[in-house]
Amino acid sequence: MRTHSFVLACALICFSPGVALAQSTASRVTSSANAFLSSLDQKQRQGVLFAFDDARQGTRWSNLPTSIVHRAGLNMGELTPAQRSAAFALLGSVLSKRGYEKVRQIMEADSVLKHNEHDSPMFGEDLYFISFLGTPSATEPWILQFGGHHLALNVTIAGERGVLTPTLTGAQPALYTLNGKTIRPLGQESDKALALLNALDEMERKQAILGFRLADLVLGPGQDGKTIQPEGLKATSMNDRQRAMLLDLISEWAGIVHEAAAAARMAELKADIPETWFAWSGPTTAAPGSNITAYYRIQGPHLVIEYAPQTLGGDPALHVHTMYRDPTNDYGKKLAAK
Amino acid sequence: MKPSLAAAILLLLPSPAFGHRLDEYLQGTLISVGKDSLQAELTLTPGVAVFPFVSAGIDTNRDGIISGGEQQAYALRILRDLSFSIDGRPLLLELRSIEFPNLADMKEGLGGIRLKFTANVPRGGQTRRLMFENHHQPRLSAYLVNCLVPDDSDIRVIAQVRNESQSVYQLDYTQAGPPPNRAWLVPLALLLFTRFAFLQFRRGAGSFRKRRV
Repeated sequence: MRTHSFVLACALICFSPGVALAQSTASRVTSSANAFLSSLDQKQRQGVLFAFDDARQGTRWSNLPTSIVHRAGLNMGELTPAQRSAAFALLGSVLSKRGYEKVRQIMEADSVLKHNEHDSPMFGEDLYFISFLGTPSATEPWILQFGGHHLALNVTIAGERGVLTPTLTGAQPALYTLNGKTIRPLGQESDKALALLNALDEMERKQAILGFRLADLVLGPGQDGKTIQPEGLKATSMNDRQRAMLLDLISEWAGIVHEAAAAARMAELKADIPETWFAWSGPTTAAPGSNITAYYRIQGPHLVIEYAPQTLGGDPALHVHTMYRDPTNDYGKKLAAK
Repeated sequence: MKPSLAAAILLLLPSPAFGHRLDEYLQGTLISVGKDSLQAELTLTPGVAVFPFVSAGIDTNRDGIISGGEQQAYALRILRDLSFSIDGRPLLLELRSIEFPNLADMKEGLGGIRLKFTANVPRGGQTRRLMFENHHQPRLSAYLVNCLVPDDSDIRVIAQVRNESQSVYQLDYTQAGPPPNRAWLVPLALLLFTRFAFLQFRRGAGSFRKRRV
């Protein structure tokens, strides 16, 4: 009887939707990674694989073009069409649908910049690099890095778990037209933040809006492991609707990674909401369909998000840098410790 | 930035669309406070257009190389442009490390000069006020200044106040518990203990003599 119950329990656990999803995510990501790696020749494989604890490679990311801040790994330009497809299939399995779309739009914006800059060799979709820290595995942790100008994804994967921090997203131009369609790669980050600001009452806005200029990211590249004192409006002072808007805004970064990992991350950030802060600096309006030109920061016990329009080179609404961190778990150090 | 300087800088701009730091000298400071000391890290990134102005103050012999001596001299010049005080008392800054990128990167508006410095913080009450001012290249610069969450759980940040440009920063914080550096109490305690033992000995010897008499 006891044996029968045990078998039944095991069967229920194994076939429960959560476990099935977890297994399918882990195996899907690993098989996509292995499919990409097996498409490479030996020299390429050597160039793309790094030791899991290679700190130099781990921190070799930037908002700057790859011709200026050199990335290691393989760039898209040196891959065959089949290898490139395999690389994007891997990205598609590691990221959510919206996350993947965002990444492709950031790259697309860089191609627009290349065109606008008279076909400058500094820009374009060929100059995005892929690399691995550790060996892709369904059980052991490993890191997928993908990035170039205005993009640095550092995704630590351990089974069904995925940690996306630190990740930098950005865009220039942050608004462009392609085939008659206007595209803003980071448009939701702009619109949802402005909607939240507008949902605050006068007293709340007073607390949220900082009285000084923030010219750039405070915790951008090279600032790993630092936690600054939070400022602005604490979410305990918000009502339920405002807190829901804040969480929805956070999901623009937390939801870049695949759905199973994003759900776990959002649950963590939802639990942290009472200790989460929202701060704003700069203009409080934006033209319809345009990006904000203000800086904002969201900070909680396991979270730092910064959105920093750049005054460099023209309209700050057209050039945005953002940073997404978990100072307690950047590069998935908690997963690696387990 | 003054209009005349801005106009001069605009003439130097290589391309309006390119996304490097251009017409500002970004100076970001991160401050970490402890009970008896503070650490600060300053990262300075000159924009492409202001680089000629900045580099003239660094590469003083104009040989296109930033020598160790020029790095040190520039770092000390920056230090002179910074001021820290605690509860109204000025703090003496000590330079701990200097990192300079190569000139080519700086020219592109990429490289950040990174300076780390420390200062001893004299003992004070439970409520403390730290003031920081950065007056380095004010006509060119954009400033950022922040306090790191203190490592010491006895220290609690109450408020951060800045002027609009962040060149002036005030940090109010409280610190609970005794200051950790009480080493000076050890010789004092030993002295008192010795004196007490000596008195006890004399008293004992005196009564012994009285008994003998």
